[in-house]
Amino acid sequence: MLSDLLIRARALFRRKAVESELDDELRFHFEQQVEKLVQSGLPLPEARRRARLEFGGSDQIKEECRDARGVSLLEALAQDIRFGLRMLRKSPGFTAVAVLTLALGIGANTAIFSVVQGVLLAPLPYREPDRLVTVWLNNFRLQSPTDLSYRDFLDWQLGALPFENMSAYAWRSFDLSSPGNPEHLEGREISSSFLSTLGVGLALGREFSVEEDRNAGAPVAIISNGLWRDRFGGSAAALGKPIVLDGVETTVVGVLRPDFRFGTGYADVYIPIGQRKLVDANDRTAHDVECVARLKPGVSLGQAEAEMNAIQENIDRLNPETEQGLGAKIIPAKEPLVGDVRGTLLLLLGAVGVVLLIACANVASLLLARSAARAREFSIRAALGAGRGRIVRQLITESVLLSVLGGVLGLAAAKWGLSAALATLAADLPRSDNIHVNASVLFFALGVSIVVGILFGLAPALRSARADLQPSLNEGGRGSTGGHHRTQSGLVIVQIALTLVLLAGAGLLFRSIQHLWKADLGFESQHLLTFQVGLSPSATKTGAGVRAAYQQLLDRIRQIPGVQSAEITTEVPMTHQVNAIPFWVDSHRPASVAEAPRTLGFITGPDFQQVMRMPLIRGRFIGRQDTIDSSLVAVIDSELARTYFPGKDPIGRTITFPQVGDYRIIGVVGHVQHWQVGFSSPFTQNQSYVSIYQIQDRWMTTIDTWTWVVVRTPLDASAVLPEIRKAVFGAASDQTVYHAQTMPAIVSESMSPQRFPLILLGSFAGLALLLASIGIYGVISYSVTLRVHEIGIRMALGAQTRAVFRMMIGHGLRLALAGVATGVAAALILIRLLSSFTHLLYGVGADDPVTFTAVSLLVTGVAILACYIPARRAAKVDPMVALRYE
Amino acid sequence: MPDHRIDLPQGTLDLLILRTLALGPEHGWAISERIHQISSNVLLVQQGSLYPALHRLERRGWIKARWGASENNRRAKFYELTQSGRKQLEAEKSEWKKLTLAVAQVLGTA
Repeated sequence: MLSDLLIRARALFRRKAVESELDDELRFHFEQQVEKLVQSGLPLPEARRRARLEFGGSDQIKEECRDARGVSLLEALAQDIRFGLRMLRKSPGFTAVAVLTLALGIGANTAIFSVVQGVLLAPLPYREPDRLVTVWLNNFRLQSPTDLSYRDFLDWQLGALPFENMSAYAWRSFDLSSPGNPEHLEGREISSSFLSTLGVGLALGREFSVEEDRNAGAPVAIISNGLWRDRFGGSAAALGKPIVLDGVETTVVGVLRPDFRFGTGYADVYIPIGQRKLVDANDRTAHDVECVARLKPGVSLGQAEAEMNAIQENIDRLNPETEQGLGAKIIPAKEPLVGDVRGTLLLLLGAVGVVLLIACANVASLLLARSAARAREFSIRAALGAGRGRIVRQLITESVLLSVLGGVLGLAAAKWGLSAALATLAADLPRSDNIHVNASVLFFALGVSIVVGILFGLAPALRSARADLQPSLNEGGRGSTGGHHRTQSGLVIVQIALTLVLLAGAGLLFRSIQHLWKADLGFESQHLLTFQVGLSPSATKTGAGVRAAYQQLLDRIRQIPGVQSAEITTEVPMTHQVNAIPFWVDSHRPASVAEAPRTLGFITGPDFQQVMRMPLIRGRFIGRQDTIDSSLVAVIDSELARTYFPGKDPIGRTITFPQVGDYRIIGVVGHVQHWQVGFSSPFTQNQSYVSIYQIQDRWMTTIDTWTWVVVRTPLDASAVLPEIRKAVFGAASDQTVYHAQTMPAIVSESMSPQRFPLILLGSFAGLALLLASIGIYGVISYSVTLRVHEIGIRMALGAQTRAVFRMMIGHGLRLALAGVATGVAAALILIRLLSSFTHLLYGVGADDPVTFTAVSLLVTGVAILACYIPARRAAKVDPMVALRYE
Repeated sequence: MPDHRIDLPQGTLDLLILRTLALGPEHGWAISERIHQISSNVLLVQQGSLYPALHRLERRGWIKARWGASENNRRAKFYELTQSGRKQLEAEKSEWKKLTLAVAQVLGTA
């Protein structure tokens, strides 16, 4: 065996040497023979002549020696490929259909794989990302990991044994007023060790020092590469230059690299988190800090979590009032980023795999039909001594050639389709800027092509090689192909069943979105517009100043023609703002604040209920008479009322927000869908409303970064927004308008978990339907070709054209119905299984009869349509021609 | 030269070559000469079958080749039996004996 390989390898790679050795060997023999003849007394020329005669054709000997040494495997492969290409060129129609079909299948798979690769599989772009984790506060009562307070973080950092490095960061936006035009920017407060925890370097400058990451440290900032190019023209002289953030002159000490990303959002400005106000820094109930840490080598998640829990337990014991019932939760850094889409992406990968299976079935079916036509070729080759293995290898080579051609085309299609899809869908995906057609995607496409080629080539190849020589040689080339035909019919049934599964999935998603649009939001989203305003720094120095600024701002906006009403609020539904505050009613104070229930705190003006058109159930909404000087009042929603005042009237009762105060309940409003339309959410459902004009000064001065304006107007947003901007600048020229959105757009955006898979699943299902109809068309049309003779006899014996037509359609219909039945059964099981762990369906059951009836009818209809052309051809068969065909 | 040649049955050439090489390494010409002599000039191996056979046996690992000097001091390719070739020779020899015995019995000469 080894010598065999060595000799084959030598024949391949040392071809010249082997050939010249062969020459030498044969020449030696010839000369020996001549010498022998000379010794026996012949003259030299005669001896030569005799030897040459005996020798025969030396080229022929050499050829046989080469054969004896064995044709190298690669040479055989090259031969097969050349032959395969010739065969494919000879039937361009077949080749084109097969390659296109495969290109669609492989292309779709490659595209989805590149998304999965970029989003789920690719490591985070930091040093040793496997050791990076996010650390959360775990509220045992609420059963959910939450942000921590900066105070907690500092305590954790002191005792954090399992981590090499631990850094806090918090979201914060800024109004940049110099250099350049005033602009509202997203930013972060970060620990001094933030970038070294991630293990990323800066393009320019340095990280914050420990001294700067403290209260009363020098105001410094690190800025994004984009902002640096924008505001400083990309000059290195930016270091040490000031920028003005929220009215504070801040020195730029570092510039980030252009490819730096962290988390889901984008940020332009970073400042030291240690410089936050002492009151915020020491408040353990203000949970607005997130934490990223690098595990020490060899420390497991479980170990780290146990150690952190021990530290938090200590903190709990020292601060029972606020901390009792809190622990730590450690999650790999990639998880919070991609956790939501993992299920969806894997679902899509499965769906697109089904499309590929359907494509394979199509090509296998085509190959079967072709191998029936080539049966004589194989019989002759087998009769001439080609082994079965040789024929199978030839056929597999041909099918892999097809699939690799399809793969190349598919890769091009994937690259094109991906950029088109990302242009519309990128916003629905985390890490979407990480999606590329890279080496691993290429590798995937190649691997899939080869596997697929073998997969769909194997059955037809084995069939052909197993075929008996005799019948097909005897039959004069019109092979009996009952077996082929049965396999093809089976393939069509499978295709239709798979298509139905995809269509049912897409159909259910479509119905879910239909239902979502009809779902009661708790307010009227039409004609609502929302945006944020960066108040002038001069206005935010005192609480009274902010209150006055808002009143002035709203007066101006309300005067714009077409604006019906306008109000401010800290929470806009479905924009993912979380102001979840602890509360208790009456005297039900829990032992620790951490153990108190949570409510979403809407801090609004008195017109909010009217602007949103929320139903008022009892009592009244907050009014203009509720000011900083009057007693504190709150409005609760029906959810909070139902849970905490079951069967009782909450009006006049007390709701307490710790550190804020005791509020008298004056009204109950309807519940608003805050998280996502239609879906129960693990997040806080209780909602309560307090007046922004009753908020104490200490919060009032920073409230503008999380305050929104909602405006009700029947006018188009694009018409009103310029007017609004004018009004805002009119109130104070250094104020900015940002995050402007219409409410319908926000609602629609909140459906992206359904919309994103619907669009893709819908296109895959369409693709599958197309492929399956080509498949059924192929089978019926092939069956017509096979049965021309039979049809001719039937018609000669008096069968009506219509009867023949019906017979062929009936054949297709039987296949379609078998496929539909199988598909419905499979879909019922599969979708029930899937819907149990992906929350995509709303308002429809996994066995929604409307959806299933519709897709079954659709598939059957398309199948009949696909049979129509070949059936018509069958009905038009001329009996004379068909019988003479023999 | 009197022509006593008979056609070799399929497979026997390999046996003859292996047997010849069992006596020691030889080059192709000497192998054919030796078969000719030992068979009392009955068996003449054509070059056209000898060399392909040698290359086939080499590929199977039953013989191996090396270049050396011939008796008249010229460069020649010598073949020699390998360990597995020796085993193969024994196997083929006993096969052959069984075959000839059987054929002889059928012909009624044994």
